[in-house]
Amino acid sequence: MTALIALEHVSFTYPGAARPALTDVSLELAAGDVLVVTGETGAGASTLLLVLAGFAPRVVGGHLSGSRSGTAQRCGVVFARPWTQLTGLCPTVRDEVAFGPASLGRPRDAVLAAAGRALEQLRIPHLADREPGQLSGGELQRVVVAAALAMGPDVLALDDPAAELDPEAADALYDLLPAIARAGTAVVVATPDLERAARVATRGVVLDAGRLVAQGAPAEVLDATDAAVIARAAGCPPPLPLDVPALVRRVAR
Amino acid sequence: MNGCEIRVAGARFAYGAQEALRGIDLTIGAGEQVALVGPNGAGKTTLTRLLVGLRRPSAGRVTVGDWDVSRKRPDEMARRVGYAFQHSDQQLFARTVESDVAFGPRCLGRSAGAVPGVLEELGLTGVAHLHPYDVPGPMRKLVALAGVLAMEPCVLVLDEPTAGLDRAQRLRVVAALARRAAGGEGVTMLAVSHDLAFVAEAAARVVVMRDGRVAADRPARELLYDREALAALGLRPPATAQIGMALGLAGSPIHAREVVDALRRTEWRRTAE
Repeated sequence: MTALIALEHVSFTYPGAARPALTDVSLELAAGDVLVVTGETGAGASTLLLVLAGFAPRVVGGHLSGSRSGTAQRCGVVFARPWTQLTGLCPTVRDEVAFGPASLGRPRDAVLAAAGRALEQLRIPHLADREPGQLSGGELQRVVVAAALAMGPDVLALDDPAAELDPEAADALYDLLPAIARAGTAVVVATPDLERAARVATRGVVLDAGRLVAQGAPAEVLDATDAAVIARAAGCPPPLPLDVPALVRRVAR
Repeated sequence: MNGCEIRVAGARFAYGAQEALRGIDLTIGAGEQVALVGPNGAGKTTLTRLLVGLRRPSAGRVTVGDWDVSRKRPDEMARRVGYAFQHSDQQLFARTVESDVAFGPRCLGRSAGAVPGVLEELGLTGVAHLHPYDVPGPMRKLVALAGVLAMEPCVLVLDEPTAGLDRAQRLRVVAALARRAAGGEGVTMLAVSHDLAFVAEAAARVVVMRDGRVAADRPARELLYDREALAALGLRPPATAQIGMALGLAGSPIHAREVVDALRRTEWRRTAE
């Protein structure tokens, strides 16, 4: 399978920074992936999203070495702070979500259809006529994800997408990701929330101080969930169960 | 530092015509660790603001120890009650992490002697000389909490202290709070939280708010095993309680170490099948 995005030995340094934020990272992203990027705070997970999506260095500046290639035409990015991402131009949520596809020059019917579909996918048709500036953080986060999806991206990069959501809405957002991936978009999520991410991941990547230190099946690399930590401490042999149902199945009774 | 009793009697509060608190009666004993949960808009944050003197009740009374909160200015309250905002960026302003954390004790006329220890506890020593806005979001949350802990208040009021933190950071917060709760009469804590893994480790009692009222007030060990009551709040039991329920573990364990102890003699299958 041709990679949507392939990074080979990529290092990236922010403008004015003394040290690189990413060092020698090689990684491929394919359609259908739900790739979860994790690591301690500051390890470079958000930066890796920006590089995968082509925002760094194109938008944020800085210096990239190594190569970034692949067939992806369009990458949508959703930042951790949704209010930084509103256009500020749109009186309603529907317009906000339609802004992306409209700016691609698509016909009006196609734009409205794409916006409507994205609102449905995020389960927020009821917000369509609201003013974006008046929404709660959780509502806004779903609006910006819908806006990114409406553009039909090849790659959807989400930076801690549930940070502003209450637990139920957070579960609902993560539950959407496999379907988005199956429809042909590669999904990349950077998050410390392994409990939710491990449930939907097809692959995981762990960063430490800007270096990719582990990459592989979720059970092998995302093993810092509550269930996995308890199972390890209680003597369970690998592969560790990542969630409670998996842990319970491993207990011989 | 000894804790103080928090007593809320018949407290009401409205934002204009919007009633946020419709008569709250709640006593939290000196040295007690309590979590406050409930859906968005239940009045949790409003209640915390009453406790620290940022809002005054339109009716009823709020006392912290022998202080009537309505008769104290927020700066006076800060000597007794430490408050960590839900959006921690609202309380960061100094040029470095270290000076931000030292600001509180300095304002109280105390030495900044506690600052290095608090930075160490929360894993912030390595970023002490950075600008607060140059550290990642979750770490800013810890910086704001460090600033509160450095003031050594006898009451801690924390609004979503672990939101956005990873597991290791959450454990640091739990450990830092546990140290202050320990001892004969430790610090009194009230923490608003959706993070039931944190609640399980940090609180013995959980108060549930709904529509501006106290809807339930139960031991954590009981509520965290009540799947239906949690579902009504849009919450799921923490992993520890889920494991306890699924395997029928005795004693309703909610702390990770209790569950590990209960599972130590387990025979594990190599694979699930």
